[in-house]
Amino acid sequence: MKLIWKLLRQHISLGQLTGFFFANLFGMMIVLLSVQFYRDVLPIFTSGDSFMKKDFSIVTKKVSTLGSLVGSSSSFSESDITEVKGQSFAKKVGVFQPSQFSVSAGLGMQDAGLHLSTDMFFESVPNEYVDVSLDKWHFDEHSHTIPIIIPRNYLNLYNFGFAQSRSLPKLSEGVMGMIKLDITIRGNGKIEKYNGNIVGFSNRLNTILVPEEFMVWANHTFAPNADSKVSRLIVEVNNPGDESIAQFFHKKGYETEDNKLDAGKTAYFLKLIVGLVLLVGLLISILSFYILMLSIYLLLQKNTTKLENLLLIGYSPGKVSLPYQLLTLGLNGLVLVLSILLVYLLRSYYLDVLSMLWPNFESGSMLPALVIGVVLSVCVSLINFIAIRRKVNGVWMHK
Amino acid sequence: MNSINLQQTLPNVFAERDSIVSDVWHTNLAFEKGKTYLVEADSGTGKSSLCSYIYGYRNDYQGSIYFDKEDIKSLSITQWVELRKSSMSMLFQELRLFTELTALENVELKNNLTNYKSKKEILDFFETLGIDEKINVPVAKLSFGQQQRVALIRSLCQPFDFIFLDEPISHLDETNGAIMGEMLIKETRHQGAGVVITSIGKHIELVYDKILKL
Repeated sequence: MKLIWKLLRQHISLGQLTGFFFANLFGMMIVLLSVQFYRDVLPIFTSGDSFMKKDFSIVTKKVSTLGSLVGSSSSFSESDITEVKGQSFAKKVGVFQPSQFSVSAGLGMQDAGLHLSTDMFFESVPNEYVDVSLDKWHFDEHSHTIPIIIPRNYLNLYNFGFAQSRSLPKLSEGVMGMIKLDITIRGNGKIEKYNGNIVGFSNRLNTILVPEEFMVWANHTFAPNADSKVSRLIVEVNNPGDESIAQFFHKKGYETEDNKLDAGKTAYFLKLIVGLVLLVGLLISILSFYILMLSIYLLLQKNTTKLENLLLIGYSPGKVSLPYQLLTLGLNGLVLVLSILLVYLLRSYYLDVLSMLWPNFESGSMLPALVIGVVLSVCVSLINFIAIRRKVNGVWMHK
Repeated sequence: MNSINLQQTLPNVFAERDSIVSDVWHTNLAFEKGKTYLVEADSGTGKSSLCSYIYGYRNDYQGSIYFDKEDIKSLSITQWVELRKSSMSMLFQELRLFTELTALENVELKNNLTNYKSKKEILDFFETLGIDEKINVPVAKLSFGQQQRVALIRSLCQPFDFIFLDEPISHLDETNGAIMGEMLIKETRHQGAGVVITSIGKHIELVYDKILKL
C-alpha cells in the first residue's frame, strides 16, 4: 500500500485540492449553518416554544370605506363560519355574541352626589375561550349581579396613561374588583338595574365580556325578536406560525387582531431566506465537488500508464482505486469535521444573541447539522468512490 | 492451468493478408505446462501481440484462445487479476517498470501482492544477476540491460503455470543471458511451469521443446 501510494501520489495537484477543500468547506458550512439556524430559530415563531404561543386568533371582516357607505354586512354568515371550521389549521371556532339590547353603565359615589354614566355594550364567548379564572363567572338571575371581564389593556391605559398624566392614584386589579358598576338594561319595553362586578382582566379578548349564559338569557328577555349577528370569531389554531392561516384570511379579506399571524409571515420569510441560502450553499458544494472530480480525473489521466502497469502485474482495479478513494474520503471527512466545528462556533455566537433577544429561548441540539453533514459527506464520498472505480475500470478496458 | 490453446488465432490487422505462413497464426497450437517454447519472429509479425492476447490486455484478434477449456474472452476482470497473480507471469518487452521507484521497490511491489518470495530470496536474485549494488537506485537511472534483469526478478516473484518472456535478453551480453537462463530454468522447473520466450534473433540458450516460427 505504501509503495502504491508512493507511485500514485505523483501529479497530485496541491493547488486543486486546496481549492476544492476550501470551496467544499464553505459550501458545506453554509448548508449546515442554514439548516441549523433554521432549526434553532423556527421554534421562536411557531408554537414549538411557549413564550410566543398564541393559540387563538380573533377574526373580523375588513371594514372598508366603500362597504360602510353601501352598508354591506361585516358580519359572518353561517356558511362563513362553517368554512373557517373546515380549515385544517382550525381546532375550534367560537363566535362572539353581541348584546341586542341597550346597556348603560354608571359609576357613582352616592354620598358625594357624583354619578357618571355611559352607554356601552356587552359581548360573550363560550366559556372555554375565556382566559380568566372562571370561579366567579356565573350569572344568577335573582342575584342581579353580572360578572364582567374587561381587557387588561383598559386598566393599563388608565394606570399608565391617564392616571400618570393627571397624578391620579393607580388602581390595582384588586381595587377594580371592588368597584361596583350600576348597569341599566333597556329593551323590549323593560328597564332593569343590575350590579356589575369586574371579576377579571383578559389579555386575549378585547371586549367587555359577560357570561354566555347571561347573554343568552338577556337577549331572549330584552330583545326577543332581534336575530343575532356574528361580527367576530375566535379561532383556536393548531399552530399560529402556519402560513396557511395568514393566506386563508388574506384570501377571504378577514382581519385578525393583535398581529398574531405575523409569526406565520415571519416564519414564511425565514423559510424563504434560509431556502435561498441553502441553495447557494448547495451550489457551492456541487461546484466544489466538480473541482474534486476534475482534479481526480486529471490525476488518473496523468497516471494512466502507472495504473495500467499496476493492473498488468496483477493489482486489481479495487486495489488501484483505493488510494484515490481514501484521498477523497480523507478530504471529505476533514471538510465535514471542520465545517461542523465552524458551525458550532458560529452557532454559539448567534445563540448568545438569540438568548439576549428572547430570554426564554431554549436552544436545541446540533443534531440537524450533524445528520445533514454526515448524509451529504457519505453521499459525496460514495459518488467519488464509484466515479474513481469506473475510471480505473476504464483504464483496464481500454487496453 | 495446464494448457493454452490457440485456435485459428490471427491478429485483426493480418486478416486481409492472402496467405499466412506461420506456426502460430491461423492454425491450432497448444502451449503445455512444463514445456519450453521459443517463438522466433521478424519484426512486425505480431510477437508482442501474441503476448498481449494471451495476457489479456488486448483482444483485437480473430479465432479463439483457450486456457484449458475456457475461452479467455469470457474471463471477468476478477478472474484475470487472479490469473496474473497466480497462474501467469510476464516479462514485458517494454518492461513496464516504475521508473520513480528503486529496483528493490519495483520487485517488492509485486511480491507484496503475492508474498511469494522472502526478502532474502529476492536479494539473492539481485546478487546472482550482478545488480545487487543497484537495489536502492531508482530504475530510471539503470541501463536497459539492468532494467531487464530487474523485470525478470519481478516476474519470478509469483507462482505461475506459464511464464512469458518477450525478448528478455535483447540488451544483455551472453554471460548475463546465460545466468538469466539458468535462473529461469531453475525457477520454472521448481514450479513445473511452461515457458514461452520470444526473440527476434538473440535468445537465451536453453533446451527448447519446440521452436515456433511466427
